[in-house]
Amino acid sequence: MIDIKGISKTYKEGLTARRVVAVENLDLHISTGEVFGFLGPNGAGKSTVIKVLLNLIFPDSGEATILDRNVRDKDVRKHVGYLPENPYFYDYLSVEELLWFGGKASGLGAGALKVRSSALIEKVNLAHARRRPLRSYSKGMVQRAGIALALIHDPDVVIFDEPMSGLDPIGRKMVGDLILELKSQGKTVFFSSHILTDIERFSDRVGIIVGGKLRLVDHLKNIITGSTTLEDIFLNEVKKAGGGLEA
Amino acid sequence: MTVLWPITLITFKEGIRNRAVYGISLLALLLFGANFLVAGMMPRNVGKVAVDFALSTISLSGILLVLFIGINLLAKDIDRRTIYMVLARPISRSQYIIGKFFGMCLLIIVTIGLLSILAALSIGSLKALYPNYFERFSWSMILLAVLFEMLMLIVLSALSFLFASFTSTSFITLVLTVITYIIGQSLADVKALVESPQAVGITVSPLTVKTVQTAYYVFPNLSLFDIKLQAAHGLALPFSLVLWTLSYGVIYGTLAIVLASLIFRKKEFP
Repeated sequence: MIDIKGISKTYKEGLTARRVVAVENLDLHISTGEVFGFLGPNGAGKSTVIKVLLNLIFPDSGEATILDRNVRDKDVRKHVGYLPENPYFYDYLSVEELLWFGGKASGLGAGALKVRSSALIEKVNLAHARRRPLRSYSKGMVQRAGIALALIHDPDVVIFDEPMSGLDPIGRKMVGDLILELKSQGKTVFFSSHILTDIERFSDRVGIIVGGKLRLVDHLKNIITGSTTLEDIFLNEVKKAGGGLEA
Repeated sequence: MTVLWPITLITFKEGIRNRAVYGISLLALLLFGANFLVAGMMPRNVGKVAVDFALSTISLSGILLVLFIGINLLAKDIDRRTIYMVLARPISRSQYIIGKFFGMCLLIIVTIGLLSILAALSIGSLKALYPNYFERFSWSMILLAVLFEMLMLIVLSALSFLFASFTSTSFITLVLTVITYIIGQSLADVKALVESPQAVGITVSPLTVKTVQTAYYVFPNLSLFDIKLQAAHGLALPFSLVLWTLSYGVIYGTLAIVLASLIFRKKEFP
């Protein structure tokens, strides 16, 4: 389903164009129907990996495929839904227009688009503000509009970058329920977070990335044993990577 | 085209609903009103002044539209990362640029089209008030002047897209577009001057002549699209010149957009 093979990415930073390693030789495989939680501290490389999968950035080396197609092929994104971290949308469009754009651009027919758009607007609880410009939305409402946009074309693969960011407890529950619903529909969900409880609640498997390197990938049931918590494991991995944290 | 249309439409909607459009339209409305005052002060030249003033108002509004709304339509997408939501769709970077550009063209055509109706009302009213001073008057030349103005704005927008494809902020794009506009409007005059300096009694070094001649072929000759004077005097343009100007605008704009999309294909959005 999602295959990442030996991906490395460096960025140029500052006036001297000093090269900073964002991701180093990362391999990852995510199977169909799996909910994969991608965990890491800030700046660990989570968003870089996601942006490679969306072809927003190009890896220096390695290759990524989704549904056996290289992510450089734009048509693969017909099957992928994406929510960026802290999404920004057009100020003067309404959520209805945003979803119309998302559906049309993904090749959805007019009838299906209308039905799906209404259902999603209801689901993310934005029916009362469906015609209001997005600039008048709160941060949580923008986040929910982004979730609806990611799902408008009924994608097989859903990639959420920090989906709970900016949401109140009700919004977080809504996203959690949505992830579980997607899982029950057999969709593949890849989501990043640094909120351990979210990862623990919704993921089948978890990957911990620190300093651009994938330190651990395993099923939650294999790593959370006895009194060991995900927090212990995460802090231990950060410490092993030289993060300087005390577990 | 099925992919381009959604981008074109949301770009147009985002542009037309921008509050700055209302400000520009209000300014244009005031200036069209002022046309009665200004033209009325020059009784013998009412016809010429009315046409020139109305077309200049369209020109000013168009430039403000491109600089303060058009540039933001693309550059802010990159600044604010709105581009993520577009490129996460099955849309290539080239399709994104072309769709955005079509949206901008639609915005220019609709806005300038509406302003032209107001301009025509202003000119028509003055013509009804002072029929004796509109002897050499031609609606078709006014229409041609508006079409040329639209084409100039489209060329300038295409260049702003080109600048946005390799700059990192909308401010740099704005600065480069303003510089190009100023150079483009004056380059033909400067070239004529340095090529015949004896006419005004000055000396110009061969290096300056070469530099200006090179710049003439790099920067767009935007003064070519300015036929306000001819329209004000009701002077017809040779058909060959009309055809040449239209071809020049279309070819220059297309080249700028093709170059922008080629650069954009390599651009990353970290």
